[in-house]
Amino acid sequence: MAPNDFLALLPLLILSIAAVLVMMLIVANQSHRVIQMASLFLFLTSFLSLFLIPVTLPYAIAPLLLIDSFGVYMMALIVFSALVVNIISYVYFEGKEEGPKEYYVLLFLCTLGACILAVSQHFVSLFLGLEILTIGLYALIAYLRSRQRAIEAGIKYLILAAFSSAFLLFGMALIYVQTGSMSFSLIAHSLALETDLPALFLLGIGMMMVGIGFKLAIVPFHMWAADVYQGAPLPVTAFIATASKGGVLAVTFRFLTSIDGLRFHVLSASLVVLAMVSILLGNILALQQKNLKRLLAYSSIAHFGYLLVAFVPNSPLSLPAMSFYLSAYLISTLAAFGIMAVRSDGTEEAEELASYTSLFWQSPLQASILGLAMLSLAGIPLTVGFTGKFYLLAAAIQNNYWALALVLVLGSILGIYYYLRVINSLLKGGTTTGALPKTAFPYFLVLSLVMLSLLALFILGLGVFPESLIGYLKDLQMGGTTSVY
Amino acid sequence: MTTAWYITAAITLVSTLMVITRHYPVHALLYLNVSLISLALLFYLMGAHFAALLQIIIYAGAIMVLFIFVIMLLNLGQETATQEKRWLKPKVWIGPCLLALILLVQFTYSLSLSKGETYINNVVEPKAVALSLFQSYMIGVQLAALLLMAAVVGAAHIGRHKRTNVHRFLQHKPDES
Repeated sequence: MAPNDFLALLPLLILSIAAVLVMMLIVANQSHRVIQMASLFLFLTSFLSLFLIPVTLPYAIAPLLLIDSFGVYMMALIVFSALVVNIISYVYFEGKEEGPKEYYVLLFLCTLGACILAVSQHFVSLFLGLEILTIGLYALIAYLRSRQRAIEAGIKYLILAAFSSAFLLFGMALIYVQTGSMSFSLIAHSLALETDLPALFLLGIGMMMVGIGFKLAIVPFHMWAADVYQGAPLPVTAFIATASKGGVLAVTFRFLTSIDGLRFHVLSASLVVLAMVSILLGNILALQQKNLKRLLAYSSIAHFGYLLVAFVPNSPLSLPAMSFYLSAYLISTLAAFGIMAVRSDGTEEAEELASYTSLFWQSPLQASILGLAMLSLAGIPLTVGFTGKFYLLAAAIQNNYWALALVLVLGSILGIYYYLRVINSLLKGGTTTGALPKTAFPYFLVLSLVMLSLLALFILGLGVFPESLIGYLKDLQMGGTTSVY
Repeated sequence: MTTAWYITAAITLVSTLMVITRHYPVHALLYLNVSLISLALLFYLMGAHFAALLQIIIYAGAIMVLFIFVIMLLNLGQETATQEKRWLKPKVWIGPCLLALILLVQFTYSLSLSKGETYINNVVEPKAVALSLFQSYMIGVQLAALLLMAAVVGAAHIGRHKRTNVHRFLQHKPDES
């Protein structure tokens, strides 16, 4: 490896060193507070180093990784999500029955896996990144192992994720048989002259879609989502919903774009169907949910349907539209889960919708943040979610995907019903049934609330003035130097 | 050698099918062993000698032993001895032994050929494996190390027993296990 490689990999190196460092802190028997502060610092360093990568992009570290501006932006989203998850974890885990120390090691490793996904240009790094992410998540989901739900969710995720990884691996093998290469650019090269997809390749990419569809929880591979969301500890749920899915989405987008797969009618048609079914079914399943975690699980199925809408048109607008919507979704989801984590106590998760009744009169700040997150997820104007959806619609209509655009609008209308139901119960007058606000860990509670307020400001700020971010996203580049392997 | 390749592939399929249809785990393990060894022979016939050896050492060796340990640990009890006798009747052994015998015959036959001829005559030397692992796929190897670290840390957390302090003065910190 050349010296420049190390510079280009700096954010990833910091994440992996951080995992080892935190393990050392655990060995030295440091308190939760020290470990939390150290990992906060390390996450911040890694996040800041993303903006200071001292090599010219795109920078290929052949054959596995390709650091380009799209990858760096995706890594920034992932590390930022992990940072927020890290902040809300202290308030959540302090007072729980499990010592939360290994939690931070696993959080770093999962973040690393997701980041590897965002910059991988090779099946080997794709699979390794995905497995680091998933294996870390098995343990994180079942982290509160004395709770029955947690173990159930962990086992469910373990079995289904292993199964889907097998599909993914078999699909990769078939594509390798057909094209003789595992690097995205060489696969693209061998496909360049084909007008129809070869049968083996089609089978392979179909199997890969099963694996990836599972990780993204799009219909019909969504069965695990609600149970795992419900069983996992809240910060972990937030991590699955944001960083984990973001990484997988980034690599899927990179793969499909670099092999230019969507010019094949079979692939684009099947993606259209997946997107439509996910949007409709996700929203319909969420309609009657009384549990906020399950509600967000089903809504995330619908949101990844929306994100697929950006894939399909395969226009220059696809990349900025997808990146913008993903950012909007991440910010809103993190804010929602953050409030839930802050309101959970030692034994109970604050997940029932009933426990949020008339929260606004009891603690206006928390209720406003949660309400704003819901408005943004619903796509109400003046929030970032609206701008994102508008952008998706533009991408779909520009290339005459009217059916997709219609389903997107229909899904959003369905969505408004259940998001507003949450806001309705937040504003309802009368007696409060929810838990009293926490006062046990004042500094970290304040820190968490400051962070969540910042997210709320992002939701509003990017909703009213989206131009700066859109301008930045339009300049994002994907791909570049081709690898020699 | 083409015939040998197809016979081995058939044995792999049959033994794997037997693994998932057996009623008792021990019987399934016998067939699993055959399946792993025949997979190693497939690697060998395709010129990947090093991968074949690793397959034997890691899967048929280390991982099988782990499986057997787990099954033995799970079956503690009074009636275990009689149960084991009931499970390991001679006729249970016949199937796996027969399949393994075919594999052995094929292996010795292919060794006896003067050139060490294989199905695909493109032998990958261990040196080539090492070079590609530690030069071009260096990052991959390191990622695999981090993958193992995640697995170990996760397993250590999930599998840990709560430490019980017998003395009453030591019982103040229940979460310091």
